[in-house]
Amino acid sequence: MESLFLQQVLNGLIVGSVYCLIAIGLTMIFGVMRISNFAHGDFSMLGAYFAIYFVLFLSGWAGWAGSLVVAAVGVGLIGFFVERFLFRPLLTRWTDIDIIMLSIGLFIVLENGARLLFGATPKMIPDPFESKTINLLFFSTSEIRLICLLFSGIAIFLLQLFLTKTRTGVAIRATSQNRNAAALMGINISFIYSLTFVVGSALAGLGGVLYGTIFAVFPMMGAMPTLKAFAVTILGGMGNIRGAIFGGFILGVAETLGGNYISMQYKNAIGFVIIILVLLVIPQGLFGGREKK
Amino acid sequence: MNRRPVKLILIILGILIALALPFIIRDRYFQHLLVLSGIFIILTSSWNLLAGYTGLLNLGHAAFFGIGGYSSALFVLKLNLSPWIGLPLGGIVASIFGILLGIPSFRLSGPYLAITTIGFSEILRLVAMNWVSLTRGSLGLYGIPPLTPFNFSPNFSIKFVSEQNAYYVILVFVFLTLILLNKLIHSEFGISLKSMREDELGSQSIGIDTSRYKLTVFMISAFLAGFAGSFYAHYVRLISPEMLALSETFSILTMVMVGGLGTLFGPVVGAILLTFLSEGLRFFEDFVKIDIRFVIYGGLLMATILFMRNGIIGLFKGVGTSNEKQREVNE
Amino acid sequence: MILLQAMSLTKRFGGLIAVKDVNFVLQSGEILGLIGPNGAGKTTLVNLITGYYAPNAGAILYREKKISGLKPHAINNMGIARTFQIVRIFHKLSVLDNVRSGLVDRRTRPPWKVALDSLVKNRETQVTGRFGEERAIQLLEFVGLTAYRHELAENLPYAYCKRLEIARALATAPKILLLDEPSAGLNPKEQNDQIGMIKSINGQGITILIIEHVMKVIMDISHRIMVLHYGEKIAEGTPEQIYKNEKVVEAYLGGEASAHH
Repeated sequence: MESLFLQQVLNGLIVGSVYCLIAIGLTMIFGVMRISNFAHGDFSMLGAYFAIYFVLFLSGWAGWAGSLVVAAVGVGLIGFFVERFLFRPLLTRWTDIDIIMLSIGLFIVLENGARLLFGATPKMIPDPFESKTINLLFFSTSEIRLICLLFSGIAIFLLQLFLTKTRTGVAIRATSQNRNAAALMGINISFIYSLTFVVGSALAGLGGVLYGTIFAVFPMMGAMPTLKAFAVTILGGMGNIRGAIFGGFILGVAETLGGNYISMQYKNAIGFVIIILVLLVIPQGLFGGREKK
Repeated sequence: MNRRPVKLILIILGILIALALPFIIRDRYFQHLLVLSGIFIILTSSWNLLAGYTGLLNLGHAAFFGIGGYSSALFVLKLNLSPWIGLPLGGIVASIFGILLGIPSFRLSGPYLAITTIGFSEILRLVAMNWVSLTRGSLGLYGIPPLTPFNFSPNFSIKFVSEQNAYYVILVFVFLTLILLNKLIHSEFGISLKSMREDELGSQSIGIDTSRYKLTVFMISAFLAGFAGSFYAHYVRLISPEMLALSETFSILTMVMVGGLGTLFGPVVGAILLTFLSEGLRFFEDFVKIDIRFVIYGGLLMATILFMRNGIIGLFKGVGTSNEKQREVNE
Repeated sequence: MILLQAMSLTKRFGGLIAVKDVNFVLQSGEILGLIGPNGAGKTTLVNLITGYYAPNAGAILYREKKISGLKPHAINNMGIARTFQIVRIFHKLSVLDNVRSGLVDRRTRPPWKVALDSLVKNRETQVTGRFGEERAIQLLEFVGLTAYRHELAENLPYAYCKRLEIARALATAPKILLLDEPSAGLNPKEQNDQIGMIKSINGQGITILIIEHVMKVIMDISHRIMVLHYGEKIAEGTPEQIYKNEKVVEAYLGGEASAHH
């Protein structure tokens, strides 16, 4: 196949865009609330399952589009309750370690709970375009994957608009930089916390639908995206959204190219190797640096 | 001095019961669970040393367990060494990997360290799965020789294949481990670790070389975990890359949190409790035909963090006063 | 005799120059006060001396040996101890254990040896045993915290935490003690007590460098005072000289924090 390299780069970008969505959610939550949520990828998993069941009602591309909405809303709602009743009580009381452990507990419950509810066999989110391929100049890909890439791009763009142009968005960024000052300025921190967690989780849910469209849906699918989202956020600097975007695409491309040219079996390790190498040299991540001790 | 004698009595009682247990309850499956508990006590105690006493969150601990198991098994299978030599060898190999993991901990903390340690163990698990020529990949290693018997005479030898005999061996190692950890913790080394846990920069200001202390404690912790892994390998005699899985680390974590992080007996209580609970749940699962074991595990972890942060031991200790103050108050 | 010496010391953070070409000496046995408006670089200077930062230019000599660039623990082991502007005590350890931790001999033993000794040596001979307890209580008596010795450090009121940090620093048997705003948040009576304590520490032969905003304290106890402003040393001299120094007055009144008397 000609231009295999460019083809792989495109594949990498597509996968990377999904990583971006999930990672942005994670980094937002960390930036604003200092919560490292190891169950974040499971929100993606839940989003994917929302999609699986929604398209049973509504098929075709309307169903696919609708499932995105349902996933975002559904997971956002779940996120609201998780934040309110699980993480919020801990925020003042305990340490970093406790929050990580709590999220690990949540991860275990969600993953195995999903196995109970949905069964372990992988399912597919049906391709509304029926695997139609598009042939562009140097590469070809399926239409649905291109739509995924487009969707991610638009979602990221809209999010950036929200964060920079709206009052609430700016409030979120302000809280992420300096909680106390933000509170003194009259920002309702409680509301911001809830909103950030909901938006972050909803993004994970959306990412899950896309991930499930490109790959497959199964209860254990949350683990890898979680770890990769962490890889991306560390690469880009935890709390740094632009960094997460950058990092997401880098990871996607590096993984795809690495998988093809180096070794398919160790493909998933690439993310980890990157993290470890980056952190050894720059402990705050590539764009980080706000870490005050 | 009210508390001290009580504690001493409990310990002596515990030792006596531990020694007599296989004769009281002769069920082989029960004894098997006891052996597993013993292995996990060593494993959880080693993790507790890092997380509870030094404040280093190592989410890749299962890697040490697995490295110990694989190393010992391979040394014995390929080089015909005695499994008794394999035990400490597994610990030493794991200890070397402990250095690898210790180095990132110099500058990383919290989620950054957590993720790095996960990455470390995942990479090693992938290696175990894919380096088929060495590890046989997902098939794992089987037919691992058990601990070689003590042959006293042609008629009288002690074998270590049975659960009961294996239990007494692991019991000895558990005692040794606890004694070792007790000495370390209540010593100048221990107080240095705790200082690092509380405030790293502050501890540096009183002369603590945090990097080298972290390295040292990683090596000790990894050795113990590797030792436990080696014993496991020669006891169940079949190991797979799943030994290095994240779920294994999460089990360790849950056991320590439920028992009591940062205490000597927390991991002991947690390991025994959850090993038996896990098996009990397995029967329950067969009964109700629902796979709820892990959901309960996860729920237990969450509930502990939210409601019982200091674990079971913590419930007994009382919050807000140090041990010595309690002693004085009771005087 | 000159105990500590800084030469052309400079520290940059990105584009910001926190300490610029600072020279000073610390004479054995004296109390040197370090003052200056907020952001003048005082704590940065202490961080440079104690090894938390490495200078971009210049050097620091302790007893003629270069210490700039060494790590904090090494510098403490050579005989320089410090307290922090925002206390860094060990919260979940008892007050007694906080001090005991400082008593541990780390000067002559690397960590692995400390671990080995922990296993081999009798507990009584260690700092965590009887011997350590007596010495630690002595130090606690000195700072007036004996009654709280079994209390968890996190339960102490803030002013006592500062005293605890001083006791812990003294436990490392330093020749030089660097105090970073020890009087912050203290009421006038507590300030007086602290002046007495610091003079007493100095009386035992420990050289002191003290950063302070509370003028009453620093004017009272310092033998000499050094003034920093925007990272540069703008004045140096006895308390009277500094009090009357025009540049100093202007630095304080012409902008940032006002000195209160």
